[in-house]
Amino acid sequence: MYGRKASELVKEFASVEHGQIFTFNNDLFAQVLEECDGHLLHLQPLMRKIQEHEDKLKDKNRSQEEIGTSEDEMSKSQAEKTLIQNALKSDQFGALVHHLSLVRNKRCLMAYVYKRAEVIRSLGWMVDSVLPEEIQEKLSTSEKEYFKNHAATLQSYMAELDLHLTVDMIPPKDPYIKVRVLDDIGEIALSDQVANLARHAIMFLRRTDAEQYITQGQMEELTG
Amino acid sequence: MAGTSDPHASAFSAAELEFLAEDEMIEIVPNLRMDALNFISGDFGPFRPQIPTQAPLWLAVALKKRGKCTIRAPEWMSVDKLTQVLEAERDSDKFQPLPFHYVEISRLLFDHAQGDIPDTYMVRSLIEDIKDVRFHKIGKGLESISGGGTFALKLKNLSAMEANIVRPFVTRALETFYKLSSSDMIQETDNAPNRQQTANRGPRVSYMFMLYIVKSPTDAQRQLKDR
Amino acid sequence: MDSGAGESSAADDYESLMSTTDAELLKSAWRNEKAAPEILNYAADLVQRSRQQIQLMEEMVEDYINDGVDPLTVSLYQIDLDRTMFLLRSYLRTRLQKIEKYVFHIQKTAEEWNRLSKQEQKFASRFAGDIKHHLDQSVLSRLPDQYQSHLRQSAASEEDDMVPEPQLDSYVVCRSKKYLGAYQLDDGGQELINIEADDLYALPYKSIKPLVESGQVDLV
Repeated sequence: MYGRKASELVKEFASVEHGQIFTFNNDLFAQVLEECDGHLLHLQPLMRKIQEHEDKLKDKNRSQEEIGTSEDEMSKSQAEKTLIQNALKSDQFGALVHHLSLVRNKRCLMAYVYKRAEVIRSLGWMVDSVLPEEIQEKLSTSEKEYFKNHAATLQSYMAELDLHLTVDMIPPKDPYIKVRVLDDIGEIALSDQVANLARHAIMFLRRTDAEQYITQGQMEELTG
Repeated sequence: MAGTSDPHASAFSAAELEFLAEDEMIEIVPNLRMDALNFISGDFGPFRPQIPTQAPLWLAVALKKRGKCTIRAPEWMSVDKLTQVLEAERDSDKFQPLPFHYVEISRLLFDHAQGDIPDTYMVRSLIEDIKDVRFHKIGKGLESISGGGTFALKLKNLSAMEANIVRPFVTRALETFYKLSSSDMIQETDNAPNRQQTANRGPRVSYMFMLYIVKSPTDAQRQLKDR
Repeated sequence: MDSGAGESSAADDYESLMSTTDAELLKSAWRNEKAAPEILNYAADLVQRSRQQIQLMEEMVEDYINDGVDPLTVSLYQIDLDRTMFLLRSYLRTRLQKIEKYVFHIQKTAEEWNRLSKQEQKFASRFAGDIKHHLDQSVLSRLPDQYQSHLRQSAASEEDDMVPEPQLDSYVVCRSKKYLGAYQLDDGGQELINIEADDLYALPYKSIKPLVESGQVDLV
């Protein structure tokens, strides 16, 4: 059934979670391309035949005009023309089916590559110029090259502006938070102050300093 | 979904709405003395102990966190006012006027200045109820417009968060209709009394849940008067 | 409405009438760009002024730290700086993402190409080359001759039918600062709407595009 493999490609893409990516499906991709080759093999002889039919019809029309013909010859010629027209139509429909299938396959293949490229780019916003190994494994060779090129293009733009665009992806928050110390930790040199982290103390620390203590349960962030 | 131009997604994330809300002004009572602050975003202060002054929410919260001020709850965040609003929301199909960022402002104040809000639990619960009633109205309203015949929506008194939610639904519900329609083929599908002719068609403006088909500019004036 | 990269004089006049600060203009520009389906005019002057202010502020904060100005004050200036930087970065980023999404369309539509800054145009050209190369390599070069275009489905297509375009019909929510009165929503002159100050309207972007460009309405 024409187009089924291409649909599978598209379905694969639609089924993945937003921002995630599957391994490039080389097999399926190649199969769809093969299908296209197959369509071309059908298409080319059909186009030739169509041309032949059209030429024959032209000849018939010309000969009908130029040479005066008898009624018998006229109806015979008419019948032949009808045969050719029918063959022409049938071949045109055949060619159309192959053409449309080819076009549909092309669209699916392009959508597949295009959509994956979108995801690859969005990952690039988060990791700068180098993709983690587990992502790299899932990419085709061309995709890896594309990512490198895109990263360079982006870098070039940012360099021209002298502005980093891959930071500040979410609105900034106050770098300081209020915390209650839960354990007696003692005197610690933090990034901006030396603080005595005594149990029950309520302190005002940089979020980045406090985070490790919070995760370990030695501090809690206070709201309200 | 920062930066997406997908018409079917919300344009702004909750964090971005909060960011916008943080520029809203609020009254604080400083307990310190500080010179005027000349920010890129504006000039604020000077700050004198016990002298109330206006500050953007982000600054008020920052000062509050550092123990440098108390925050005066905005007038609308009182039990009395909110009870009135809730009753009015329940009694009417229309939306009551509330600050554009009422959702984000109240959340920020509850998170960082709870002690400064009198009757904090009551206020919180009233706001939740108000949000719910309005959400419910939005749902009903969206259903009513997908029948076709609507071209534009006036979202009177909707807040930033509510507008952000409505937007993609409106796109979905109306764009199909809008794409199909042209000046000569708008389908009239509801049953308001005076909508026969196709000749002199004025705007098809839906006032959330009240589908007015307005015939002419003067008609518009009349109908706009009794909102 | 001229289509050079930068603000039109109509917008400048309007803005000076409203005497809005650069900070507010930057916020509006960011908001509009996020909400609009197509890329808007590059606010060249505004971006330049904002960057200057940011730089001045950064230098001032440096000085304050070195001069031992109290950390409280410094931290507050730092937050203001962070907020401004976020707006600027997000503004530029949002534009890049739109360029990425619609690059082939933008390249062939002069009106839109002219809305890009010089640097964005360079980015767009390189970006288009990158993705075209990738598509050629992965797909197109392996298809029959007549089907190798990245813009058209096949040589039989009468126009570029594979180029994604922004959907100008999609709905946006907008708000006007002033009363604008009767405004014509569509070409046929049939749809008129009364635009009040501060009320929200959900409309197709296409119908209020000129109002957004002139700065009379904000998208929210």
